[in-house]
Amino acid sequence: MSGPADDRGSGGSRKPPDDTAAFETRLSELEEKLGKVKAQRGETRRAETDGGAGGRGMAYGMRMATELVAAIIVGGLIGWGLDRFFGTTPWLFLCFFLLGFAAGVLNVLRGYEKLRKDIAEQTGGNIGKSVPDDED
Amino acid sequence: MAAPTGGTQGVSMPDPIHQFEINRIIPIKIFGWDASFTNSSLFMVIAAVLTVGFIMVSMSGRSLVPNRMQSVSEISYEFIANMMRDAIGEGWQKYFPYVFSLFIFIFVCNMLGMIPGFFTVTSHIAVTAALALLVFTSVILIGFANNGLGFLKLFVPSGVPAVILPLIVLIEVISFLSRPLSHSIRLFANMLAGHITLKVFGGFVVMLLGAGGAVSLISPLPILAAVALTSLEVLVAFLQAYVFTMLTCMYLSDALHPGH
Repeated sequence: MSGPADDRGSGGSRKPPDDTAAFETRLSELEEKLGKVKAQRGETRRAETDGGAGGRGMAYGMRMATELVAAIIVGGLIGWGLDRFFGTTPWLFLCFFLLGFAAGVLNVLRGYEKLRKDIAEQTGGNIGKSVPDDED
Repeated sequence: MAAPTGGTQGVSMPDPIHQFEINRIIPIKIFGWDASFTNSSLFMVIAAVLTVGFIMVSMSGRSLVPNRMQSVSEISYEFIANMMRDAIGEGWQKYFPYVFSLFIFIFVCNMLGMIPGFFTVTSHIAVTAALALLVFTSVILIGFANNGLGFLKLFVPSGVPAVILPLIVLIEVISFLSRPLSHSIRLFANMLAGHITLKVFGGFVVMLLGAGGAVSLISPLPILAAVALTSLEVLVAFLQAYVFTMLTCMYLSDALHPGH
């Protein structure tokens, strides 16, 4: 590895700038360096998004849970109110409780669909595929 | 008054709920309703004044190359604008002031709550429910104003056989009505739970120190946990403001383009 570095050190000052061979070695070296920097930057950026995804994942988890529970509560309340109005306790409550559950599942599925789309956009559709350099 | 107890009793746990107590600062009564100016109102005013003051001061220069404060304002503008562009699409500009105010207000309230001794406005369901109902009613009004009766298409998904359509419509309506509930509970529960946890860990330190002897040697451990939890809470404070705004955008998108 010391060869090209020496070459550059001595050639950079003495040889005229129109020496294309020296110029090309310098160019390729620079490109190599730039590639390294870019790779490093990409890695840190990926690490950052991973950290953000962890926090965001928790927020999404909470969201799904509350959405499921909220729909069940609302369904149950509607059924309970209608039962009191019509005097049909407990049948409408039971029906609307189940409908509320269905609505909750629908909410969660919609939220999941949205999340999947977002992540697919971020990662270029690589969800669920194993990463090549995964630890074995 | 209290009977003297043995030295082994130690210090009792500080009440973790005490921080959420509402105190009247200026009692006001309007037609028998208690509309007092409370510590909660005070912190809402502080949040609003801080936000407006900061944006006015930071944007007063209006330089082409922004200084630090102007950058903060511009970044927050771009953050919300991008979110709305993605979630709402066409016609988002009209609702930008509304969504921006919502986000900044919740975010600043959450962050003010992170300062020790300050009151956390968003840890009360009365506040978050008011915000969620504001979003809910505005979505309904905007929906009918923009689409007329076409807004009701939101409850009738396309391509469903007529036999099960009534059932689906019923489910969609329940799903729609559950929005303000989940919207308000999420923000409130997150802030409440986080602050109680912090307080409990802080209380452990006092209890361990009060116990005396070798036990007080492990009292720094809960401090470490509290420090870690504080950073988590800062993240949660931002994320919950973000999630609240994000969902508002999605609901607004439903109101503007109800056809799915």
